Amino acid sequence: MEMIVNTVRMVDYDQLREHSFGDDNSLKENLAFGKLNPEDYKKLNLTPSLNLKLLNTHGQVIIKVKQEEDIPLGTILMPVSIWANQITGIINKQLIFKNLKVNAEATKDNVLDLKGLLNIIKK
Amino acid sequence: MVGKRVKCTGCSLLCDDIIIKSDGLYIDEVFGACLKGKERFDQITGKNRILSPFIRKNGNLVKVPLEDALNKTIEIIKSSSKPLLYGFSTVSCQAQLKGIELAKIINGFIDSNSTICQGKVLNTSKQTGMTLTTISEIINKTDLLIFWGANVAESIPRLLNKALFSRGKFRMTGREIKTVIIIDPIKTASFGAMGVRDIALQIEPGKDIDLIRVLKEKCCSPNSTPSKGVAGIDSDDLRRLLIQLTNTENGVIFIGQGIVNSTSNPKVIQELLELVQILNAKQQKGRMSVIMLGGHYNMAGFDQVALSLVGKNHNILFSNNQLVETSDTIISKIDNEDFDCSVIVGTDPISHLPWKLSKKLMSKPLILIDNKKSATFKVADIIIPSAITGIECEGLAYRLDHVPIELDKIVNPPNNVISDEKILSMLIKGLKTI
Repeated sequence: MEMIVNTVRMVDYDQLREHSFGDDNSLKENLAFGKLNPEDYKKLNLTPSLNLKLLNTHGQVIIKVKQEEDIPLGTILMPVSIWANQITGIINKQLIFKNLKVNAEATKDNVLDLKGLLNIIKK
Repeated sequence: MVGKRVKCTGCSLLCDDIIIKSDGLYIDEVFGACLKGKERFDQITGKNRILSPFIRKNGNLVKVPLEDALNKTIEIIKSSSKPLLYGFSTVSCQAQLKGIELAKIINGFIDSNSTICQGKVLNTSKQTGMTLTTISEIINKTDLLIFWGANVAESIPRLLNKALFSRGKFRMTGREIKTVIIIDPIKTASFGAMGVRDIALQIEPGKDIDLIRVLKEKCCSPNSTPSKGVAGIDSDDLRRLLIQLTNTENGVIFIGQGIVNSTSNPKVIQELLELVQILNAKQQKGRMSVIMLGGHYNMAGFDQVALSLVGKNHNILFSNNQLVETSDTIISKIDNEDFDCSVIVGTDPISHLPWKLSKKLMSKPLILIDNKKSATFKVADIIIPSAITGIECEGLAYRLDHVPIELDKIVNPPNNVISDEKILSMLIKGLKTI
């Protein structure tokens, strides 16, 4: 399903705080997720045991999902982090962090932790 | 223990009304700080604080004396022909000055986080001009606050306390006579601060430029009323927005990341600044201003320091120890792998940048000067710990409204960690000696 991802600052899910006080688990728990509308959650056939795979021309990432009614339909909000930056890129020599078109689908695959993500980037 | 009033470096607002209780060794209590500010003070004893220098050996980070880390850094820089220096938004202006001096002597390319953030607005203003204002003027005079793509409740948490809920010299009644307009595709936490007279505009993603163009057109035509909506905003709301824009005595537009990075259309900021000019040309009783909402506490400082030192604020390249013109940006330098080592100061590009750029950055020797662990820490080849400016060392910083604020030292840094300024000075001295 085609959706739009916006990377945003969230005071409760802040990468600076997680890097200062957290650990690998809290980093993954508090940054590797996206918020979407409950209607989109249903459309994507998501369940609590499934994750969300986002894929676009820049890359791909697997994240956990939180439902929030205030999120517009067709939009996913992700906290600014290394996970969100798996699907950001460069267009017209500018970094693009907003309105990223992605293909979203439910997946049983696991969310990578920071170490796993860094290993993949290095490869 | 007596309370002491200090400044907070939790974000670019640099609040100067924080009270702390400290015995000079630790900060025991913090009063009046927001969540981000409190976390900043807590970083002194944060479990991921970097307290020792490290050098990567056989893939593992090994603790080393500071002298070894500095010598290894000098060795790498010496053998480099295209060093890249990046960050400098969470350090003092004095350290920024040393950073540029270092770039000059090593013929490097230097830039700050501002270049991918609010620096875009500043650069655009070189063509269009820009009406700026200050927090004090907002408190005293502003009756219209427009947050465009800015979720200030979460990014600069106390800005609303100061700008909206304050009572100023000409705004004695405070919040009651101030109107808030939020333009954002998402119903963010900032919408929670809105009252009945305020206007919430949930714009369609990436359509900011369409709205700006309609506003420019309608603001130019006296008594024109929009017959239809635009960008997901209906004609009634558009009319209310126009009335507010043209009738305000003193309005301010807070430019957030939502619009700076909303679209690949590079004209969006230019057209927004042109709209402000049109409004000011029409204004008979007041004016419209803008505030750039940078996140890091001294992002504005690098622009100020670099402009005063070399006459440009971004894409600063030195060759033969002289400033040279370049069409390169930090993005093109990394993307084209046009560098052979990087010195990262007080930032985390491995988390902040798209992974393709991170991959290229980590493929060359990376030297990190910072006070906390991060994704960049995990891949750096040399790590030099620094003191936290505004808590463990003093320095100058520029607030988001480009007002200079002097930061104080409150406690001594642990493990005799030294300031960014001192580290950069030692590198410069070492490079000059060899």
